Amino acid sequence: MTIVISALQYLGYVLIFPGFLFCFLAGMLLCGIDRKLVAKMQKRVGPPVLQPFYDFFKLCGKETIVPASASKTTFLMAPLVGLAALVVIQLFIPVFSFSAFSGMADVIVILYLLLIPAMSVILGGAASGSPYAGVGLSREMVTIISCELPLVLVLLAVAKTVGSALGTGLCFSLSDIAAYQAMHGSLITKISMLPAAVAMLLIIPGETGNHPFDAAEAETEICEGLLAEYSGAPLGVYKLSHAIKMLTLTSLFVALFLGGLGTGFVALDGIILFLLCVVLTAVSISFVHAITARLKIEQIFKFYWTLVSGLALISLVLAWYGL
Amino acid sequence: MSPVINALSYQHFPIYAIMVLFLGAFLIAVFGRNRTARNVLALLSITASLAFILALIRPVMLGGEIIAYWLGGRVPAGGYAIGIALEVDALSLFFALIVAVAVFVSGVYSIQYMRHDDNEREYYTLFLMLAGGVMGLVLSGDLFNMFIMVEVLTFAAVALTAFRNTATGALEAAFKYLVVGCIGSTCILVGTAMLYAQAHTLNLAQLAQLLPGNLNTATKVAFALLFVGFGTKAFIVPFHPLAADAHGAAPASISVMISGVLTKSGIYGIIRLTYFLFQTMNLGTMQFLLVFVGSLSMFICVTMALAQHDFKRLLAFHSISQIGYVLTAVGLCTALGVSAGLYHAMNHTLFKGLLFLAAGAVLHETGTTDLGKLGGLSKKMPHTTVLFLIGAFSISGIPPFNGFASKWMVYQATYQKAVESGNIGFLLVTIIALVTSVLTLASFVKVSQSVFFGQLPKELEHVKEVSFGMRLAMGIFALLCILTGLFPGLVTSYITEPAARAVFSVAQYISAMGFDASGVAAESVVSFAHVGVWEPISWLLILCIALLAITIVAVASKYDNVSQRSGEAVDTKYELFYGGEAQEFSQVGGGDLFWGFKHNWRGYFDFMYRLHSGVVNDYALWAVVDLALVMLFSLIVL
Repeated sequence: MTIVISALQYLGYVLIFPGFLFCFLAGMLLCGIDRKLVAKMQKRVGPPVLQPFYDFFKLCGKETIVPASASKTTFLMAPLVGLAALVVIQLFIPVFSFSAFSGMADVIVILYLLLIPAMSVILGGAASGSPYAGVGLSREMVTIISCELPLVLVLLAVAKTVGSALGTGLCFSLSDIAAYQAMHGSLITKISMLPAAVAMLLIIPGETGNHPFDAAEAETEICEGLLAEYSGAPLGVYKLSHAIKMLTLTSLFVALFLGGLGTGFVALDGIILFLLCVVLTAVSISFVHAITARLKIEQIFKFYWTLVSGLALISLVLAWYGL
Repeated sequence: MSPVINALSYQHFPIYAIMVLFLGAFLIAVFGRNRTARNVLALLSITASLAFILALIRPVMLGGEIIAYWLGGRVPAGGYAIGIALEVDALSLFFALIVAVAVFVSGVYSIQYMRHDDNEREYYTLFLMLAGGVMGLVLSGDLFNMFIMVEVLTFAAVALTAFRNTATGALEAAFKYLVVGCIGSTCILVGTAMLYAQAHTLNLAQLAQLLPGNLNTATKVAFALLFVGFGTKAFIVPFHPLAADAHGAAPASISVMISGVLTKSGIYGIIRLTYFLFQTMNLGTMQFLLVFVGSLSMFICVTMALAQHDFKRLLAFHSISQIGYVLTAVGLCTALGVSAGLYHAMNHTLFKGLLFLAAGAVLHETGTTDLGKLGGLSKKMPHTTVLFLIGAFSISGIPPFNGFASKWMVYQATYQKAVESGNIGFLLVTIIALVTSVLTLASFVKVSQSVFFGQLPKELEHVKEVSFGMRLAMGIFALLCILTGLFPGLVTSYITEPAARAVFSVAQYISAMGFDASGVAAESVVSFAHVGVWEPISWLLILCIALLAITIVAVASKYDNVSQRSGEAVDTKYELFYGGEAQEFSQVGGGDLFWGFKHNWRGYFDFMYRLHSGVVNDYALWAVVDLALVMLFSLIVL
């Protein structure tokens, strides 16, 4: 009986909170709020906040065309695998003191799990056989390489800070990082972690492929690159994945830098998490989007491997010497 | 005990495992004119060798026994070992296991793959000589015996590299390999001779007893010679260009052997040399040497691989890049590091073997490995594509495949070492390892785009899937890749940790051969504790539930109800979107795919391009310079 109950409980985690339903609603809302905010900053009216939902359901009702040159199975399966992998990552990220599945994956694993959705987009695009996808794939991969180095540095800095505070030397476990912050306050209050937090804010739009780091999609020049041949429901799934990725990365930021005690009520914690994600989206995605023009791919690479990595490195060195 | 029962005792299994391979080589040379006889003989000898090695797992790996075997019963007399000895501890057996599995799969693959070649008899003879050479090297308990095996395997490998001597570059590659390989072998011979002159013995255990604490200039020089000699066998920097040539030109089944097996013999030699013979790994400077060379190999080779446009050359550079991980982890001199390094060594054989076999399958069907000429093969060779992707994800360290499991341990081991020693240099190694991993992924994205996805060129319309035997061989590797990735706990506790423990039990190694080990520090406290958490099975379970849920929703909402061209009906909506561009100008070639990355590093890539001249004189010079540097290093720090 207890097995059935705990199985149902885990199923609830996967399907409702913090799994599918939460990801779907929160991600899409986040996406809508982002679009509205950018529009407001640019003195446009902008779409309604619920527009991403409308888009998604409309796309699901459209005809799906598989190009004659595509490998059908890969082309259709890739979006689904990517979505599932993304939702699973969300399950591993603790919501303040609550974590659905603790002790299964640490931050380094998360770093690599984040590559699976990216790979699904890349392989799906590659499977379409489109030359635009070829260009998009190249740029997407370079964007991933660009973000990887600063992200690694940020994670190592956090691991070192929490580890030396806990006396274990280093700490990769997300639930330990959450527990530490519940005891000692958010990591962002530490001066040494500030540069890493700023770096992480700059990494978020790069990882999600938002403007100005969206050379891989660049509608005006390579027709959405990897998504050029997608239509109908698979395209809708990719749009959904993109929205969820915004949620995942912002909540990863919350878990790494803005952790705390929480309220003890999971539902309330979820709402607080969502609100924090909205704020972070506004700062790191919408604001940056509104004031910049798209970068070229080699500029993206240079930006991340010099400025952002430099910021993260400062944090790492400070953390190393225990400041 | 009757002689028959005595002969079946597992004490004899090591020599049997070596003997059956050489015996097979000999019998094929004599009776191998008939194809059936040849195949049966080859399969029999590799299967028997694998069986003997597997049978040793129980006593040696799990029981912790060290098998000391004197050939012909010539036990030491007067305190000095004269006869030839085999000594099998968990470390030797670990490498023998890798060798036996790789040889077995490569042999199975060869039967279909080499069907259309001439001189099959010579192929199998050399193949089994190579296998026997490596097997003999890792099971040997005698330094001179190791040298002989190095010679056997080097010459077999050179001959096999040039096996398809009508192919472009095969003879050139073999020549380069011959020249630098001979420099390496000579180094090992001279080093062995110098040690013999000093210690009057060639037995590894006795050398390990006599050498530490009694170092003089001659033994220090011998150390450098042996290190460089085994370095050439592992193709670590600065010998990596040879690997690219040799792996690229050899038949795929031989590339598996060279990359998966031969490089391991070099790593094995370096471990025996540093941890056992000289016992110098507790010196920070020696750790620096190994970690530095390892990180350098890791990074230089991955960037070189990014610049390649030939499938097999690209794989060859990756091979050395992964060997860099192994060497780095082993050089940390922590239990976790050694365990991680050995785990990665094993995984390297599995995924690299799989990738080379996939490359061989592509070559077999299309006749080319040039990334610029291939494309869109996933529609023609769906099984090979899936198997290739498993290998590509494994080597790039994507969870839950095996490359991730071992690399993840390498990251932790390096970072833990950095924290424990307070040395910020190891932190840099962690970062290099993490970045190398994503660069590896990038170049495999390039391969999958330019070989298996993308557009199918007109010339490749007739391509078919490869035969079942070849897919079976790839399938074995792929299955092992997945299993060793999903059950890291089992792999570490039953395979790599006993081997890593053996590395730290020098005293047992010496006393097992009947020598006095009182001068050697007893086994230090070995701890495999690590801070990370990763449970692949739970992750996979959750992913499957999530995927199931999505699939149910997708099927219910008619996700798979797609429009696709049926029959000959011509409808432009099923064609690719070109936006008015001329079709032939839109494809990005394999070599230029990561332009955005390479543009920023053009200085580095130009430098590398000039450095890798492809002239064998240069590479010989590098070997000499490397030897001089290592000699200087060992004279100063030892």
